[in-house]
Amino acid sequence: MLHADIDLRQGAFHLDVALRAPHGVTAIFGPSGSGKSTLLAALAGLRPGGGTISLDGQKLDPRPHRRGIGLVFQDGLLFPHMSVGANLLYAWRRADPSRRHAIEDVAGFFDIATLLDRSVVNLSGGERARVALARALVAAPRLLLLDEPFSALDGQRRRSFIDILGRMHDAFGLSMLIVTHLIDDAAALATHLVGLRDGRVVAEGAFAQTVSSPAFRTLLDARDTGAALSTTALVRRGGGGPAATWVRADHVLLATRKPTAISARNILRGSIGGITTEESESLLVELHTADGVLFARLTQEAVDALKLRVGMPVWALVKAHAL
Amino acid sequence: MLSPTDLQVLATTLIVAAKALLILPLAIAVAFALSRPRLPGRLAWDGLVHLPVILPPILIGFLLLQLLGRQGVFGGWINLAFTQNGAALATAVMIFPLLVRSVRLSFDAIDPRLLDAAAMLGAGPWDRFFSIALPLAWPGILAGAVTAFAAAMGEFGAVITFAANIPGETQTLPLAIYQVLQQPGGEVEAWRLALLSLSLAFAGLIAAELLQRWARRRV
Repeated sequence: MLHADIDLRQGAFHLDVALRAPHGVTAIFGPSGSGKSTLLAALAGLRPGGGTISLDGQKLDPRPHRRGIGLVFQDGLLFPHMSVGANLLYAWRRADPSRRHAIEDVAGFFDIATLLDRSVVNLSGGERARVALARALVAAPRLLLLDEPFSALDGQRRRSFIDILGRMHDAFGLSMLIVTHLIDDAAALATHLVGLRDGRVVAEGAFAQTVSSPAFRTLLDARDTGAALSTTALVRRGGGGPAATWVRADHVLLATRKPTAISARNILRGSIGGITTEESESLLVELHTADGVLFARLTQEAVDALKLRVGMPVWALVKAHAL
Repeated sequence: MLSPTDLQVLATTLIVAAKALLILPLAIAVAFALSRPRLPGRLAWDGLVHLPVILPPILIGFLLLQLLGRQGVFGGWINLAFTQNGAALATAVMIFPLLVRSVRLSFDAIDPRLLDAAAMLGAGPWDRFFSIALPLAWPGILAGAVTAFAAAMGEFGAVITFAANIPGETQTLPLAIYQVLQQPGGEVEAWRLALLSLSLAFAGLIAAELLQRWARRRV
């Protein structure tokens, strides 16, 4: 369990955060300028200053190289004057001998054993991300911080990277703290969620409860309004991927009768839990399905035409390409 | 071709320049300190380092005499005036800003987050300097050192003021040229020495370029 009490000023910006992150995966979510990067740097010890941070009841050393926590940067930041293997060895040599993992094991896990002799300059984006993760893992940190880890990846590569992170968490029992401005990434991995705005925590708690809380929902742009749905409830292209998927309200259609002869593969049965009018004059329909809550964004005309009202049974359709 | 006197001048020039280059580690340390964004009083330090560029070289020589001459402030402990080590010191002071500038450019070119990444892997400040900053800056440091060596062979004002013009001891190429120009009909000898000086400087610059290319390929 991580306890952080941080009070840090940087020009006009004031980061004043008290947060806890239990074992597992915590996502720190916030729009740009909310102080995510500053918070991450403070946790890592790279931004000296106000606050106390403790991990499992033990106060952390103020110096970053003595904290025993790992940090995976957005762009990997592999050392360009070393080979892939030398990058891993760099971490191994400086790690606590009683904790560190053997390089061969880690390289095998991340499927980079064949890259060890290569220069880091010619790696692909996906390889680079895996090597950066492997380098951090070799030191067996007590907590791993990840800064927007998927932003350089897209599509299938992003999915397989999320898959690796999930498996890594299970295999090495490593607690992770992921900083992101993409709700999809938070939904994919996090069990605990912290919402940040203007340097303050606006919502914090178990992911499922926090993500649907009114305070947290103010952090999402209209475009991102939606809900996390267990991936097992969905039919999607390709295997693997995250445990939960963020389904946007804009990607959900409603039908009052069970649709047949339709290309959409994801059809969930549910009932209407509420209808709220949004600022943009559109209506947000909350659905209760057996797999959890979903939202659909509809126009007033559509709601009138279908005579939608609370309690009514409906079918929700989710386009697979939106997942 | 080259007379024994010419060879002596050439040897003195190379030895003085090589000794002056011993200032390199200090230049690297100062350059690294100056490239730290959080260094207090950075502007003042930067100005101090660059003083020899704007001060007349003869003034540098004079100041060295005041400090390290026989009657100087520290003259009782170390008297370097009119010695070869004195010539090297005067040269070192003159090339110091040049060295710091080129080394600092190499440090500035390093993504500072690479040092953060090293810290997060358990590397302390000295470790980060020797394992990340220095190897990444190495090509620039090498090229800067060779350029400074070439420049060192041409120092005049500070050297002649502090170390005088003693053949076989402090008489480097520019000082020898100056001496032959004082004598009637010395132009021919001056030309020979000038060509020698020019080819040395040129060779130095080419060497710097080649070294840098070679080192870039390795990084």
